[in-house]
Amino acid sequence: MDVISGLFRRPAAASILSLLGVLSFYVVIGGVDLGKLMGAASWVNYAARIGVVALFVGLLMISGEIDISIGAMIPAGAMTTAILSGYYELPMIVGILGALAMGVIVGLFNGLLVTRTTVPSLIVTLGTLVAMQGIVLAGSKLLTGAASVPLSAPGWAKTVFGDLMFGGNHQVVIVWWIALAVVVWFVMHQTKYGNWIFAIGGDKVSARNAGIPVDWIKIGLFVGTATSAAFVGMCHAILFNSAQVSGGMNDIFNIIVSVVVGGVLLTGGFGSIPGVVIGTVTFAIVTKGIDFTSIDRNWSNLIIGIMLLAAVGMNETFRAKAMSAVRKKKG
Amino acid sequence: MNKVNRFAAAAASAVVLACTAGAVMAADIYVIGGKPDDPFWSRVKKGAEDAGIVAAAQGGSVTWLGPQNYDNLGPDAAELIRQAIDQGADAIVGPDWVPEAMDPAFQAVTEAGIPLVIYNAGGLEAADRLGAMNYVGAVDYKSGYAGGAYLAKAGHMNGACVNTLPGAANIEAFCAGFNAGLTENGGTGSVLQLPATAFGDATAVAQAVRAHLLQNPDIDAMFAIGDGDTNATVSGIQQAGKAGQVHVCGMNFNDSILANIQAGTQDFAIDQQGYQQGFFAVSILNNFVNYGVTIPTREILTGPGVIDAANVEQVMAGVKAGAR
Repeated sequence: MDVISGLFRRPAAASILSLLGVLSFYVVIGGVDLGKLMGAASWVNYAARIGVVALFVGLLMISGEIDISIGAMIPAGAMTTAILSGYYELPMIVGILGALAMGVIVGLFNGLLVTRTTVPSLIVTLGTLVAMQGIVLAGSKLLTGAASVPLSAPGWAKTVFGDLMFGGNHQVVIVWWIALAVVVWFVMHQTKYGNWIFAIGGDKVSARNAGIPVDWIKIGLFVGTATSAAFVGMCHAILFNSAQVSGGMNDIFNIIVSVVVGGVLLTGGFGSIPGVVIGTVTFAIVTKGIDFTSIDRNWSNLIIGIMLLAAVGMNETFRAKAMSAVRKKKG
Repeated sequence: MNKVNRFAAAAASAVVLACTAGAVMAADIYVIGGKPDDPFWSRVKKGAEDAGIVAAAQGGSVTWLGPQNYDNLGPDAAELIRQAIDQGADAIVGPDWVPEAMDPAFQAVTEAGIPLVIYNAGGLEAADRLGAMNYVGAVDYKSGYAGGAYLAKAGHMNGACVNTLPGAANIEAFCAGFNAGLTENGGTGSVLQLPATAFGDATAVAQAVRAHLLQNPDIDAMFAIGDGDTNATVSGIQQAGKAGQVHVCGMNFNDSILANIQAGTQDFAIDQQGYQQGFFAVSILNNFVNYGVTIPTREILTGPGVIDAANVEQVMAGVKAGAR
């Protein structure tokens, strides 16, 4: 009994239950062939695409900040790679490093602006989001005269960043996602830096008084989100041999929803990396799994919305339970 | 015969049975297209689903796969193609919007031995390159040509194509076709080039049309490349005081354009007939998978269809049914 109740108090418990709920809804109501869904690459590819960024957005949100400029950074990373290595035919490594450098610069900008001013991170990154959309479109038009740039990557770059694995349709970015998840999990839950991030999200002033370098941690987390988004864009450009200008508005919401479904509080101080990973999987199955059901596609957005609300509602209930258990122990 | 052998024999015969059943089994057809809430694509979807009624009666199905939005069109569509393979499609229909991103996915379809039809975009050239059975869709040049020929035959010999998207290959093809349609029927054609920022800006298009007509009083026919531009062109002609003298043809249509055709302020509209694209692409594949029959005619043209005063009522009925 203790084992079960202990399990339910884990931060990831609610997201696991939401995942099971989503799957059973699709199987019972939608008539999904579970074997086919599990074997399909589409939702795993999608989960990896948003999951890489969701890991870092999760860290940032636990620290009490948010970054919505990621939406513009995914196409920005893709376009940087395609313009440098595709249009100007520079070596592939220049395109890859260029995309990552772009992420670091925008991340530093976001981080410095948030820590040096009292402007909320939502507003700061809203500004960089729109500004980056403008830079990408205007820059692409100015440099190449087009809004879509082809790219032919050499074999090694394809193998490392943008290939399909096992002779099937699974993208190599899935491996990156899993590897990064392990690294981020280790930092977050096994080192002092993770505790620092939780402390900053819980109470910034106390954290600073306890000697935690709050500003530097936050700047680092902003660099993490922007760079991971540019990384995903770069992988996409290499895989799909092209990049195009786009707003990326959908990615913002999809990534933040994945993190929230994974049990991270929008106000910070609560969450876990396993939760974020499972939240991402849940969201990917909700959005891509609808194609495997017999439900008319015209309903898909309604069903996605309801299922997400249900998943988040379940999170809230479980968190309340978990917190009440903590209080009882103390009392 | 020992147990293992008996099991192997039973398994083998089961596999054979499954295979022979598969040969006459129903077709699960996957159609990759636009968003279901896009007016044009909702007509294509209706066509595919109407053809799917036959597939369903034969035990098969039609599944529509569309992206959430058009932000990341090429890669998203390529993902949907690969998803259709994973879902065990017996046949796949798809548009070749962004060849760099989508061609590898289409090649994976043909390599897996799944019958493929390209529709809406790419043309017969894409179908040949990718090993697809056929191309079902409209050809931009021919759409423009139909407009020019119709106007010249009606006696309106001096035409101008209003190009609000210079550089876009499909728009250039509309205008080239329009001018060819005029000249080959005894008229002359020209192009009114507008800056790309004019596209969708009704005031800018109307003012440019008005100025152009006042400078070139001989023009008696105009071609607009989209439904919004058509309305703006009609307004520009009225502002130039030339209503009734300059005859207008436009690509695509909406409710106000149908009303204009009924009222006579617009002569006719050219329709790509998206319903036909979905309907015939699915029908070709369903019949092929079920009975092995083919359509040897390569390049099934679904357009241009002409909407003028003679058939506008019928088109309005089609709009009500969601097919046009």
